[in-house]
Amino acid sequence: MFVRTNGEEALGVLPLISHPVSQGRLCHRGWNRFQNLRSLNRINRPLLRDGNQAKEVGWEEAFQKIKEKLSGILSSYGPQAIGIIGSPWLTNEDNYLTSLFAQHVLTTDNVDGTYRFGGASALSALERTFSGALGSLGSIPSLNESPAILLLGHESFRDFSPVGSRIVQAFLKGSKVILAEPCSRRAEHFYAHQLTESLAGLSFALQEKGAIPDGVWDSLSQAGMGLVFVADQVSPASNLNSLLSVLLQRLPAHNKALNLLTLSRSPNLRGAWDMGIKPGKQGLNLQEMLDADSKIKGLLVFADDVLAHLPSSAMIEKLKKLEFLLVADRFVTKTSQIAHCVLPIPLLAESDGTMTNCEGRVQMLRPALPKRGESRSLLEVLGDIAGRLGKALAYRSGLEVRGAMSAQIPLYQKISSASELDGILLPSSKLNGAASAAIQKPKISEGKFVLVIPNTLNAWNRNQMILESPVLNIEYPSDRLGIRMNPQDARDLKLRMGEKVKIKSERGEAHAPIDLDNTVPSMTLVLPSHFIDVVEGVAGNGDVDPETKSLFYPNLYVSVEKI
Amino acid sequence: MDTYLLKKTDLPRWVELIQKSNDVFAPSRVQGEVFFSPISFPPDLDLLTGTATLPYLPPKDFVFPQAEELFSFSQQGEEVKLEVPKISGRGTVLLGIRSCDITGIGWMDKFYQENFKDFYYTRRRENLTFISIACNQPVKNCFCVCCEGGPFLDPEHDEFDIQLVDLKENYLVESKSEKGKKLIALAPELFLKSAPSVKEIRDQLEEKSRQSFLTEPTSYMSFAIRRITENSVPPEVWTELGERCFDDGGCTFVCPCCSCFGVGYLSEGGKGCHYRFWDSCDYSGFTREVSGHNPRGEKGERFKRRFYHKLSYQYIKRDGRIGCVGCGRCITACPGEVGMPAVVERIRNSKAQRNYQSGKPEESLG
Repeated sequence: MFVRTNGEEALGVLPLISHPVSQGRLCHRGWNRFQNLRSLNRINRPLLRDGNQAKEVGWEEAFQKIKEKLSGILSSYGPQAIGIIGSPWLTNEDNYLTSLFAQHVLTTDNVDGTYRFGGASALSALERTFSGALGSLGSIPSLNESPAILLLGHESFRDFSPVGSRIVQAFLKGSKVILAEPCSRRAEHFYAHQLTESLAGLSFALQEKGAIPDGVWDSLSQAGMGLVFVADQVSPASNLNSLLSVLLQRLPAHNKALNLLTLSRSPNLRGAWDMGIKPGKQGLNLQEMLDADSKIKGLLVFADDVLAHLPSSAMIEKLKKLEFLLVADRFVTKTSQIAHCVLPIPLLAESDGTMTNCEGRVQMLRPALPKRGESRSLLEVLGDIAGRLGKALAYRSGLEVRGAMSAQIPLYQKISSASELDGILLPSSKLNGAASAAIQKPKISEGKFVLVIPNTLNAWNRNQMILESPVLNIEYPSDRLGIRMNPQDARDLKLRMGEKVKIKSERGEAHAPIDLDNTVPSMTLVLPSHFIDVVEGVAGNGDVDPETKSLFYPNLYVSVEKI
Repeated sequence: MDTYLLKKTDLPRWVELIQKSNDVFAPSRVQGEVFFSPISFPPDLDLLTGTATLPYLPPKDFVFPQAEELFSFSQQGEEVKLEVPKISGRGTVLLGIRSCDITGIGWMDKFYQENFKDFYYTRRRENLTFISIACNQPVKNCFCVCCEGGPFLDPEHDEFDIQLVDLKENYLVESKSEKGKKLIALAPELFLKSAPSVKEIRDQLEEKSRQSFLTEPTSYMSFAIRRITENSVPPEVWTELGERCFDDGGCTFVCPCCSCFGVGYLSEGGKGCHYRFWDSCDYSGFTREVSGHNPRGEKGERFKRRFYHKLSYQYIKRDGRIGCVGCGRCITACPGEVGMPAVVERIRNSKAQRNYQSGKPEESLG
């Protein structure tokens, strides 16, 4: 897309008609993308915090403090006491540098992103099914050629219009669009079938005779079928592995082609993952770094509001008690407000670099606006900190970083010339033999409600881009605490909107008001995961995905009682 | 109205003279996309021919920008200072705008100037002069012929400054407004008297252009106008169309006739500004009330309202025309493939829910 400016500030946005993905179309976040570029809620100068007081300082003073703190932790506890958080809101070049900074400057293996709790499970599962590092797994422009498309969750269609657009086109051409959605019974005319299973139960239902409507299997057994899902909603990884295993078994032996699109609410999930923003061999992931007993003393956070993306109150407490928290970001966030040192970095619209989209297309960003305030690129910031610690990050420009990336990361070999606006597709991923995974029959508890806890840590109304835009703030109002329930169920229990209930599972109980929603299926409750206190009350400490070692909240059977 | 002939080779000379007191914008290619940009020399004559070439962003952006500061404020002690931003006093001339977009500007003029003169709109509009080019050849998404939006402007009934008609080596120049006449007076020696026979050629070109619109997307607008006005489109059709809408607002942003805006403010340390920005009736927040109640919470309801405003007789009577000029940009912008022609076609294919005149339910008007 083009950002239209008057040279100083953004005035609008226009999609490219000739771009193979957008083809002149954007979602409403895209059309209003210029608004957050005008926000005044920016970090303009470095800040140092002493207790509750934060003061603006010059870069020199900030660098001195950082050197002092990092040297102190390194000499007292060693490099493994420091953790680094990269971000899907950074370019590939900045994430690659962050990863090098961890390996060669701090020599720590503790590198991760907040996508540990929303995306890592999906990407790990895909790496198991395909041959290691992920290339291009699908194609947005050719999704409209798929004979059938399986969507996991209503939002896979609704929230990502370049993909949704191809799904509509596929429907108009006669493709069978199948939705699996446990939280909503909204029947839209383009769905050939609507399954009520969540990802956890879908593989089993697809294998069980009579559990799914006639015709679903025939549709899903065609080569080139599309599978579209939002990465945040995949936990644990084994659920996706099971589904892929079942689907691949049914595809014709001579052609196992799948058009697989892993959507994300952040712009560069794939890029950050590919650039090595994940723990090294002996390293801790974000969950382990923020474990109460963890030896982490200092955390360096680049371009992410970690505090808003943590799924448990214990982790939030640990983050607040670190000896040293450094945040380099664009906007004032909850995390920057508790950081000991805050550094301003430029927005993506003020930077150049590449990003990798959900189909594995590496695209070029060019700066549309001048840098605001005293912000400095991560290249400058990390280079300076490295120098003060007696090490060197020997790159003078993004182009040099890109050269190193293409030399070191085989899939990204061709991106040093990624100057075309269309970008370059990574090579296609190959299937890693016959994928297989154990499929368990989901537990059923008669007479109880199913409590679904969708991952809302990255919901749009918690996204900095939305929070900084007046019109998008209206479109995505902050949600009030409420357990969504079908109105008929509420009538049966003699409950009214807003009335408090006690929900009780085998793991615990919690009190919360109910919110009536006639799209929620009967005997189903929906509780957004970011209401951490209530979620922890009813779901305890959650479960840990053995593959990614990250916390998630499975569906639970609960009883509901009027208080 | 005055008519002349202008040699195409003389166009750059005329533009040079216009530029002395005006900023001149014309369609130009930026990385393969067409924008109204400051004119370059020599001008890109490929984009100034009779073949319809529409920049994706409509020219309403010149009078109603996507984001426009209304006033800034600052506080020093007790004193609060308010300031309305100034704009350049130079005139702006848009060369190469198409008939549909001129019609769209006419619609915006009504909205922003008829009963209450919007200060910000008017000060930009007064500085703006248009040199449009009639379309001898429509392109893929054009359906202006169904909306009285083109392909030629009618000198008798349509308001315009200057219309050029591409005659291969020359342009036929039709000058109607005072603003247009002033531009011609800058270089009267370039404008030759046109022979009466040229009028015949012009009319033939217009007729040929009218005949060359594609079957799709030309649309049965009058049918949709009647159905929408009498409220006989079945609710399930609106629901179905609404399900295809992604609430992205793209159709309203690229529509030359959509005029809705929202107001936001930016503030920090006692300083800031209020600004207005394009808003969209696609958005659920457009009508949501402070209590949280939304009279048009369902997408089908919002969709119905949008097309009611565009096509119902109530608005045609008030505004003099439908709220669509047939430029086809909504076809490009809509991820759900429900731009204006697709909606009109869906309405045509639906059975009327009721006929108010006969009072008979479920009677087909088709």
